Amino acid sequence: MKRPVARPTATDDTQSRTTRAPRAFLPDDVSIDQTSFDPPPDDGATTPAIKSMGWLGRLAWTTGTILVSLGLSLMVDRLIRDLFARYEWLGWAGVVALALFVTAVFFLILREILALRRLRVLDGLRRTAVLALANNNQHQAHQVLSRLEGIYAHRADLAAAHKSVDDHAKHLFDGSELIDLAERGLMTPLDRKARALTAASARRVALVTAVSPRALVDIAFVIYESIRLAGAIAALYGAKPGFFGFWRLTGAILAHLAVTGGLVLTDGIVEQLVGQGLAAKLSARLGEGVVNGLMTVRVGIAAIRVVRPLPFNALSQPVVRDFLPELTNLNPEKADPAG
Amino acid sequence: MAQAPTTIVDELGIALANLADAATGTFTPTLRLGVTGLSRAGKTIFITALIHNLLTGGRLPGFSPMADGRFIGAQLAEYPDATIPRFAYEQHLAALTGQTPTWPESTRRISQLRLVLKYQSANWLAGWRGPATLNLDIVDYPGEWLLDLPLLSLSFAEWSREALERANRTASSREATPFLEILASIDPQKPGTDTDAEKLAASFTRYLRQSREDNAMSTLPPGRFLLPGDLEGSPALTFAPLPPATQPVRSTSLYAMLEGRYEAYKAQVVRPFFKDHFARLDRQVVLVDTLRALNSGPAAVADLETALTAVLSCFRQGDSNSLTRLVSRRIDRILFAATKADHVHHTSHDRLEAILNRLVANASRRARFAGAETRSLALAGIRATREGSLLEAGEVLPTIVGTPMPGEVLDGTSYDGNTEIALFPGDLPEHPDSLFEDSTPVSLNFLRFVPPQKLDRNAGGDMVLPHIRFDRALDFLIGDKLA
Repeated sequence: MKRPVARPTATDDTQSRTTRAPRAFLPDDVSIDQTSFDPPPDDGATTPAIKSMGWLGRLAWTTGTILVSLGLSLMVDRLIRDLFARYEWLGWAGVVALALFVTAVFFLILREILALRRLRVLDGLRRTAVLALANNNQHQAHQVLSRLEGIYAHRADLAAAHKSVDDHAKHLFDGSELIDLAERGLMTPLDRKARALTAASARRVALVTAVSPRALVDIAFVIYESIRLAGAIAALYGAKPGFFGFWRLTGAILAHLAVTGGLVLTDGIVEQLVGQGLAAKLSARLGEGVVNGLMTVRVGIAAIRVVRPLPFNALSQPVVRDFLPELTNLNPEKADPAG
Repeated sequence: MAQAPTTIVDELGIALANLADAATGTFTPTLRLGVTGLSRAGKTIFITALIHNLLTGGRLPGFSPMADGRFIGAQLAEYPDATIPRFAYEQHLAALTGQTPTWPESTRRISQLRLVLKYQSANWLAGWRGPATLNLDIVDYPGEWLLDLPLLSLSFAEWSREALERANRTASSREATPFLEILASIDPQKPGTDTDAEKLAASFTRYLRQSREDNAMSTLPPGRFLLPGDLEGSPALTFAPLPPATQPVRSTSLYAMLEGRYEAYKAQVVRPFFKDHFARLDRQVVLVDTLRALNSGPAAVADLETALTAVLSCFRQGDSNSLTRLVSRRIDRILFAATKADHVHHTSHDRLEAILNRLVANASRRARFAGAETRSLALAGIRATREGSLLEAGEVLPTIVGTPMPGEVLDGTSYDGNTEIALFPGDLPEHPDSLFEDSTPVSLNFLRFVPPQKLDRNAGGDMVLPHIRFDRALDFLIGDKLA
């Protein structure tokens, strides 16, 4: 029979390890591992990086462009030579025409670049204004004010607004207040005109849709009217887009419509019902007219939001509802687009 | 146990008055604006600037009804309560805009004013009825009296304990010693006589007035001792704190006599003042003169915080809807304002606001919990200085330019009230909490300045009072009611 045995499981060396007594050190001797308790937010996680073209794509575009330009110059060169070969005076006429053409194209490109720059300036201005509002930064707000002044300096209709903004700006200390002041002073007359333009466009679209014999006609008219409206609004806020600038503007407006489409739908659900329900009950064409008019209104609102150099802060931004009386009003003389 | 500041009868009276207001206010609603602030916080200036700016359509770009062009005008009107003096707006304005501008004298009595505002509503339903009107009722009163409101929930024994505790603090030993000596020489249990009571009250009053002058202390109730008005010498104002009774109090003793007078003071002086002017407010602006307390040091700052918290806990704050408003009015918006913001450079305004936020943190938390909306601003109802910058020892100092009041002293120089100077008053601390600590001395010196000398005139020929953020204050306080 075995005897019961008990043995200690821990060996002696765990006991012999010294216990660490509490001690204090000067902070200078310590290497700090955690500098602050709130790690700064990782920008990469919140803002997606803009994907630039890879080097292959860039190479393809560059070489392609070089080839095309070479081909064009060769063609022009041969044309001029051929003209000289036929008659000398014809050759000279060709040279003069070419020189004029090149000059004209040069100035056109210059104008496009300037127009694109203006759009970018408005974009940048809005970004600065948003920052100045959020940070209540007086310096940035003054920058925005002086740049606005530059953009609208030649506008006679804003002279009085400029003066009152200048008068008040001297007495304000807060960046957000300065931006609000500029918005109230300078944007109010522009907003009013933009609204009037949008309303007038929408009314024309509604009218043409209601009387047009074919669907194709009113689709074409909606597109034509939208393009005209976007251009007019951009010019109103000081952007004056050229051809390429206009493409950029159209892209921005479409992107804006796509993003806010859902929001606009909830905002205008009643209006939708009015368009497709009530008005359609009276006449199918009339209902379509209202719907097309609302579409134009949306384009107008998107254009305002894209080109307006200040964000909507002190003033309320236009919504589809504001324009509904405009569209359903059968007597346009009494309509007041200024709202 | 803390007592409720009002009795049931008071509550009934308040509810009935609210109901009457609601009935008469169906067509012309009335907004009661409570301008609260301890003495010298700038209540009179605030009210004068408010009336003048609204009457003359002053320079208020941040006041949305005016900026949108919906504000039609304002007019002074008869106040419904015929027994209370009218706010002397014309005199105050004359003092401010006279040949040699002076600040109005400190308020010594209560006064009221009603302003009728006419505006076009932006709301299409209300706008359809044409221009709307709103009555704005404002009350001005000595700020000292505000200190009485916390007394409503204190018994004589509780108040005595607090008052004697304050008197025994080392900071106020110099002022309090004479009073404490007299107190020690009198036995509260002996039969009460008017002579003893008067002796005690007189020395207590002297102590209170001196500590306010010398130490810029704020928590010094009862307020009528500092500024008695027409109650000077009446029995209700002839009492003083006594040490707690160790044995049963006889009804003829001095203790019983003073306790009776304290209760009478509460019932007949403080409670009507509260009931008539503070129990039925819609909006409140709390003006705080932080700079004066900062000048005097940590004790004064801590004391200011205590006073503000105690006073503000008496107000009825909270969310109200149109149905409950019929019988119970609540303050649904409170603006905390650090006044005299023109005494510091605008780059320091955010620090001034931070200090203000720290001072009213308790009060503001309580108000927000009750459902009221709060905001804090550094403002100046009337701006007395301009701004400049100065290069000294390679450092750019933001300075303010103005004429110091006669008798103001800085670095041993006493000013005569005619010389304009550029002043760098010192940097406000980055962390407001350091103001409460004795260990880190803050070197600050704010001088008082005379009112602006040359005022612009607007197109209508009226004086334009320069201000700092006054329009935003106004927009927060009444802008939404004119929407």
